Amino acid sequence: MQDILLKALNRMESTGAQFCDAKAQTVRTMGVQSINGDIRQLLQRDTGGICLRAWIDGRWGYGTVTSFDESDISAAAEAAVRNARGSPKGRLRLEPDTIVKSMRPNVKIHPDDVDLEEKIKAVLDVDRAQEAEKVLNRVGSYAEEVKDNIIVNSVGSMIDWQEVRTRFGAMSIASEGPRLERYYDGPSGTAGYELVKDLDIERMGREVAEEAVRTLKAVRPPSGKLTVISDPMMSGLLAHEAMGHPSEADEVTKKRSFLTDCVGMKVGTDIVDMFDNGLAKGAYGSCPFDDEGTLASNTQIIKDGVYEGYMHSLETASELGSRPTGNGRAENFGKRVWVRMTNTYFGPGDRTVEDIIADTRYGILCDKMYNGMEDPVGGGFEAKCLRGHLIENGRITELLQSFTLTGRALEVLQTTDAVSKDVILDGGMCGKGIEDWVNVSSGGPYMRSRMIVGGGE
Amino acid sequence: MQMDSIADEALRYGKKFDDSEVYVVRTVSNTVYVESTKISNVETKTDSGLSFRMAKDHKLGKASVTLNGKSTVAGCVDMAERIASFSPSNSGFKGYVMPSRAKISTSGIWDKKVENITHEQMIEIVKSIADNVEKDVVLGGLLRVSTIEALVANSNGVHSEHSSTLVYGHFTSMARKEHPGEGQEAIHGTQLSIDTEEIGRSLSQRAVSAAKAKPFRGSRRLTMILPPGELGDMLMSSAGSALNGENVFYGRSLWQDKIGEKIASDSLSLTDDPTVEAPLASAFDDEGTPTEKRKLVEKGVLRSYIRDSFVGESTGNGMRRSSVDAQGLYERSISIKPINMVVTPGKMTRDQIVEQTDSGILIDKFAWPEADSLTGRFGLEVRCGHLIEKGKIVGTINNALMIGNMMDALSNIENIGNDQKIVGLTTIPTMSFSGMDLVGN
Repeated sequence: MQDILLKALNRMESTGAQFCDAKAQTVRTMGVQSINGDIRQLLQRDTGGICLRAWIDGRWGYGTVTSFDESDISAAAEAAVRNARGSPKGRLRLEPDTIVKSMRPNVKIHPDDVDLEEKIKAVLDVDRAQEAEKVLNRVGSYAEEVKDNIIVNSVGSMIDWQEVRTRFGAMSIASEGPRLERYYDGPSGTAGYELVKDLDIERMGREVAEEAVRTLKAVRPPSGKLTVISDPMMSGLLAHEAMGHPSEADEVTKKRSFLTDCVGMKVGTDIVDMFDNGLAKGAYGSCPFDDEGTLASNTQIIKDGVYEGYMHSLETASELGSRPTGNGRAENFGKRVWVRMTNTYFGPGDRTVEDIIADTRYGILCDKMYNGMEDPVGGGFEAKCLRGHLIENGRITELLQSFTLTGRALEVLQTTDAVSKDVILDGGMCGKGIEDWVNVSSGGPYMRSRMIVGGGE
Repeated sequence: MQMDSIADEALRYGKKFDDSEVYVVRTVSNTVYVESTKISNVETKTDSGLSFRMAKDHKLGKASVTLNGKSTVAGCVDMAERIASFSPSNSGFKGYVMPSRAKISTSGIWDKKVENITHEQMIEIVKSIADNVEKDVVLGGLLRVSTIEALVANSNGVHSEHSSTLVYGHFTSMARKEHPGEGQEAIHGTQLSIDTEEIGRSLSQRAVSAAKAKPFRGSRRLTMILPPGELGDMLMSSAGSALNGENVFYGRSLWQDKIGEKIASDSLSLTDDPTVEAPLASAFDDEGTPTEKRKLVEKGVLRSYIRDSFVGESTGNGMRRSSVDAQGLYERSISIKPINMVVTPGKMTRDQIVEQTDSGILIDKFAWPEADSLTGRFGLEVRCGHLIEKGKIVGTINNALMIGNMMDALSNIENIGNDQKIVGLTTIPTMSFSGMDLVGN
């Protein structure tokens, strides 16, 4: 395959590309999902294709094909060069490092070495463990992804590596009269089947069911500007949506980020640290190289409350006079490379969560995220929480149903006055605006800040 | 290789099974991206793939591959068989669909202009939008046009071919101000008939509005007015979810067992209409079941759910296609979707609805307009909204949460406009809902 890709590179260079790269990717995914003891989804996907990129006068041209035939790839190479032509955007030169490397995933049990029967059994076991009064739907799920990548480029890089990701989950929907509530749990990571083997499946399923049933008694949360203790998942959602997306340097070069020209500015209290770390061991967003063949790195975004800098692709690094950080990522071979996060999280503090709750007079403690939305232009965020707890005079008093947090990112971080010791990461998918989904994780410690809270009846 | 031959080959391999179904699709997508009002990228993507489903001794298997020369039809069938061999027996399997004649005819779902478009022509359209955006407003976004040619066939004799074009655009606008905010416009359809002047004008207006918005303070109960662009996903995530036959099958629809009952205001009538121009409009769904025009809600009374072959008595709503992207359709599982959920329009213009509103907010942009599909609840960040008092707009706000429950909102409809627009899988006008809460600092 490398030979065909090198021929495509030659084709692009000989027809005018100032820089070019070629990526071949195959992705094998397998998924099992059960509902109420029946297998609802059981499928395997095997996709693969080629992405060719040509860079001419500050503009990328893409040609992608789902064919490994040499003549189709050559035609795509010509399309990439053709697409890169047009009115020149500038004289920007890309400066990638030349890397020649081959890497295998660091997993204990490769999913290919585990019988499908065993994976199905694990799903049905966690489904069965959720059997309980008032539990209407029990869902078990398992998913694995094995992604093989080859990248060659016109500065001599030749890289191949494999990424393996595994997820396992349980979700219960409980009902009482017309009311429905859900709860979920489950690990994910750049890991093999050991992620499932190491689990107490019975306990996880039972606890998810119990919590779904408990949530039926949750009450509507208070609304307005309140003291909020975000749990690690909600801290991660805030890191990702409020500060992560606007720290993607393509938002900065387009002047769409409220953090443009903010390096060196105090954006939070002294106890706020934030990172995007593509090297985090076992985390769902980790990858040894990005989709441009740049080595992953750990980028400190906030240090002691001071804004440190952005995440970069090859293009944005050149434009802003920085080094690429390994954040040029694409959903797959057919999609475009953007600056994307990997594992984004707030750093640890020195408190315990119990201690933070005890010195909170009135506020809300979050319990699991639902989803969120960034606002790089306006500096706001929307962060939806699955449920929470009311805190009154240092004690948890009531269970709260789902609600949403919002505010101005910079104002919120200026109110952060307590951060717990332990950082936990949680895997998921991130879209750039409304599409282009990549694997990421986000997380952090428990953090106390002030923000706007509201939830529907 | 022709799609017919691929389907025949798959079904030939599949003769050893009790039931089998093959879906073959070939798409070509062209996309032009614009950043900072300049054309930044142009892309061509060709994609073809195969999905194969089978049943043997009540065990089900499913696999998909890209047709890239490496993966073979036989390999895909083998993969599905292997999956089935490990699968527990599924006594609820009702078989794949039986052959039927089309019940409707469709028009306007293939645009030759899309088939023959050049990158230069696409760039011209995007530049025309940019030319209609005011000078101090920055344009971003993309325009994507695709051709989709698909075939579904099964061992019962179903053989259904589908061809359509898909036009999708998503543009954002930002005024060059200290606190800019962002406006947006989306295009969903099958035809390349884009009013670039109107889109440019709207993007300018919305960017300027977002830039002048001020943080909302306090809280207020008021009427929420949602224009089509903000209503589409709100309606899909609430009514669309409650109408979904799979949710009914598993007992989690908020309109469970309510056929014939009043579930919304008298003014609400919803119809699934695949006969008119809409992104998913087609005579057959992606399982080969004929589609038809269907009353879902009539004057506030629930008339029908929508179903696929899995839940049985399919209404022709088993879909792989989306209104946004044509890539990787063979990878997607069948899911139940309305093909084109139409809200019967009212008589008022949007301006007249505003004039009729005593205390309200006209939402220009939510962070993401979506209700919780399980509970109907929403708590949505208002990125830009216009406050209304006694029929007049008195201010523009942001940094607030709009909170309520969309299922309750559908029973508290104040007015329905006449400004219907295709938004994703819906064709909808502006609607207003009373009794919603706005919460700020």
